[in-house]
Amino acid sequence: MRSTTWFDADMCALLGSLLYKLNDDLNTVKLTNMSSAVHSILSKNGFLSHYGEERIPDRWGTTIRYHRFETTDDGTFSGYIEHELIHRQELPAMSSGLTKRFRESIFEIFSNAVLHSETKLGIFSCGQLFPNKHTLSFTVADLGIGICESVRRHTGLNMRPEEAIEWATQGTNTTKKGSIPGGLGLKLLSEFVDLNRGALQIVSDTGYWRREGARTLTATLDDRFGGTVVCLKINTADESAYKLQSEPDVVDIF
Amino acid sequence: MNEPKPVSISVFESTGSQLCVASGDGEKVFRRLERALDRGLPIILSFRNVHTLTSAFLNAAIGQLYGRFEETRIRELLSVEDIEPDDRALLKRVVDTAKLYFKNKVAFDDAMREVEENH
Repeated sequence: MRSTTWFDADMCALLGSLLYKLNDDLNTVKLTNMSSAVHSILSKNGFLSHYGEERIPDRWGTTIRYHRFETTDDGTFSGYIEHELIHRQELPAMSSGLTKRFRESIFEIFSNAVLHSETKLGIFSCGQLFPNKHTLSFTVADLGIGICESVRRHTGLNMRPEEAIEWATQGTNTTKKGSIPGGLGLKLLSEFVDLNRGALQIVSDTGYWRREGARTLTATLDDRFGGTVVCLKINTADESAYKLQSEPDVVDIF
Repeated sequence: MNEPKPVSISVFESTGSQLCVASGDGEKVFRRLERALDRGLPIILSFRNVHTLTSAFLNAAIGQLYGRFEETRIRELLSVEDIEPDDRALLKRVVDTAKLYFKNKVAFDDAMREVEENH
């Protein structure tokens, strides 16, 4: 890793998932030969402490700790989000509307992984704050069946991985089949990043999907990732009023 | 005969949390709503002290009611209170999506059954 001079800290979620799989397959993983800049950031966010090193203090408080969760750990995940993201003194003052939608979006991503990934190896998350850019990145990765396979299994539709991601973000499309409906999580996330002028990136299998500036970009990657990675980048200085749609009368809901 | 007295169900009390985000917590609310609707009781579902909701939670708590009960019965018996305007908008979308899901589910299940029978 000596030639790697920059590593987006939130990508520890992705790297951590891959290394966890290697460990789970009884390989011995050692991280060596890192540049000092990369070593520093991976130490501050607690990533290297999973590989035998001490976590070093994060003087500027810009890291959001790397963590692995079981799919049943929704309570632990809630505590992590509140502690690492919502009640952090170092975080810029965000409007209450933004804080609320951001928090909801993070939980939508986690819920999606729990409900759809069928992973047995857990869910990995990490984040990073960039105060000068008024940006916060947060990434969630799982080693489940991936969006394309989920769509194929549950709907019979055969699509390219990037098409499957696009399909899952549209309207009311869902891979849910049981008694509990679904199909809104990724759509809500897309709407949120459009309003916030943030970005949402999803990688699953060889599919790449990105939403930014109310535009969608898709591509086929050369190599496949056996699971799903969702990366949310938000604009922390945004003052938008967050509304999903016109507010209905209470009597009209049902 | 007297009208049955409405039953109050608190989302916060049912889940024990202000963060109503997990599908499993939604199930706890669903089970109470299901019992009350089975008995034909009017329900006031309170969101007081709840500060975060997700579609996953609301799908489990309320969306799946549309697979168990007629829409007219839900409309007649269920009402909500103390819900923030944006949460109400989210709930409305979850409900609309659930209605569509169960409408399509019947057609989808029929189609899948036909495919299985022909193999």
